[in-house]
Amino acid sequence: MGDSWAVDVQNVSKSFGDVKALDGVTLRVKQGEIYGLLGPNGAGKTTLIRLFVGLVEPNAGTVTVLGQRMPNVAVLSHVGYMTQTAALYPGLSVEENVRFFAAINDAEEGVKDALELVKLYDRRDSVVSTVSGGMRQRCSLACALVHKPQLLLLDEPTVGVDPQLRVELWEDFRKMAAAGTTIIVSSHVMDEAERCQRLGLIQYGKLLAEGTPDEIRATAGSTNLEDAFLRLAGSRA
Amino acid sequence: MSHHRVAAITKRLLQQFRRDRRTLALLFVAPIVILGLLGYLIRGSASAPAVGIANEDQGPLGSTVAAALARSSEISTTSIRASDGDSKLKDGSLAAYIVIPPDFSTQAQAGTIAPEVHLEGSQPGTTAPVLQALQQALITLGAQGSVHVQPRVTYVYGGPGFDTLDYFGAAFIGLVVFFLVFVVTIVSFLNERSQGTLERLMASPLRRGEIVLGYMLGFAVLALIQAAEVLIFALAVLKVHNAGNVALIFGIEALMAIAAVNLGIFLSMFARTEFQAVQFIPLVIVPQFLLSGILFPVGSEPKPLQVLSDVLPLTYAVNGLRDVMVKGADLTWGSLQLDVGVVLGFVVLLVLAAVATLRRRIA
Repeated sequence: MGDSWAVDVQNVSKSFGDVKALDGVTLRVKQGEIYGLLGPNGAGKTTLIRLFVGLVEPNAGTVTVLGQRMPNVAVLSHVGYMTQTAALYPGLSVEENVRFFAAINDAEEGVKDALELVKLYDRRDSVVSTVSGGMRQRCSLACALVHKPQLLLLDEPTVGVDPQLRVELWEDFRKMAAAGTTIIVSSHVMDEAERCQRLGLIQYGKLLAEGTPDEIRATAGSTNLEDAFLRLAGSRA
Repeated sequence: MSHHRVAAITKRLLQQFRRDRRTLALLFVAPIVILGLLGYLIRGSASAPAVGIANEDQGPLGSTVAAALARSSEISTTSIRASDGDSKLKDGSLAAYIVIPPDFSTQAQAGTIAPEVHLEGSQPGTTAPVLQALQQALITLGAQGSVHVQPRVTYVYGGPGFDTLDYFGAAFIGLVVFFLVFVVTIVSFLNERSQGTLERLMASPLRRGEIVLGYMLGFAVLALIQAAEVLIFALAVLKVHNAGNVALIFGIEALMAIAAVNLGIFLSMFARTEFQAVQFIPLVIVPQFLLSGILFPVGSEPKPLQVLSDVLPLTYAVNGLRDVMVKGADLTWGSLQLDVGVVLGFVVLLVLAAVATLRRRIA
């Protein structure tokens, strides 16, 4: 469990009642890596991400984030979390939302940078309930990265974002990763998976395969990531 | 118009309710609980107002009147000494006492009798039966000749000008604040859960206590402005009787508001939608309202309900507000110390409960 792992998940299982959401998952993410969690809806991606921030405690196994056993409140000031739905206060303006999440992380100086990064600085005074879904998603992202976290968790970040902005956001993710930020992205969009340095395929709460997009394709004997994913998922189902 | 399509809507509606047990309970259980409680409160009332009789008459007529009063079903009488009367009114063991003066029989022969009626006065509901019972008792004398009755009535609290609003006003000032703050908190905290922002807060370095304290302060600002507005309106515009310290009334209102905020956070845990949150009103607020002594004095409730009233915090808040506004109580009064102490204890308990409910179940 060296400090070079941003996230270290060992043999984690988690059930909700009779439903086994995660079943013996072991997974490590290096610092500065962009890691993609890939899987169909209900595979356990969101549960895994919620384990990383201590919102869910495992029934078995250990979760270590930035060198700290989770749950741990102190480590959360170095973690940014963007939930699946744009969790924002609809009655506040874009800037007021970002400023609030900055304030609870003692990072108000980062508000302007975050707004500029997601290209919302000009629309900062718009009330969130009046803006488009894509803008809400960007605002939500700004809230997650305003305190310049070492680990950024993005649960399906580009749903509802137009292709051009998606390209721009990924450019920013890459820059942040190059500067040392670890990014874990969950997605079921193959186009996004292609942009990750490493992927973990999850289905029925199990990690089916792990590796770079090329390795995944090679394992499945396929030239296309979507096809590779369907083959790997199908072989276990 | 297609009856088939109309039927589809009706059927779908009933199907939805079949799975919604809470709404079914609300529709079919809550009315029975509320009406049953109300019926028990009114019909089951244990005690007529306690009235002390001090018969000091040296002639024969006094004991005739005292016996007639003792037979009255309007009041329940005990024999007391006139000198003990005032202290028994103040400690609440009597609602009134009647003094039949030493020269009562002589007065009666002279044609004008003047019994003294001392009323506790803070509860309009008890004044009327006492005066009525006295009137009926004196009719027995009136029959013996034309006797003029001039009772001398005095009040410990309030006075002849003390009306129903003066009695209810004190309690309603607190209740309005408690109720509205509760509804606003439970709905906005529920939004925090349903829009996902609470999940975000829990995944931040914020501690649970910080969230609850922040909420409490935010709503306290709103609640205190509202409490001040309500108080000023009641005192300045409605001219509700107030014998006590305005700052003390405001303090009790503030405590109730803080209790309401935390009750809202705590109960938002058990609701998933705003509709479900509103369902708590008939279940949590209405029984407390009926049993808190606002409408029916706790002392006149059937005994089993008195036990229930005694464990409800609103009872103490209402009692405290009334003691201050009607009787001019201050913090040196033992009864007010108890009231404020219980409300404070309840606030602490609710804060702890609110923090505990934030524990894990978030989404």
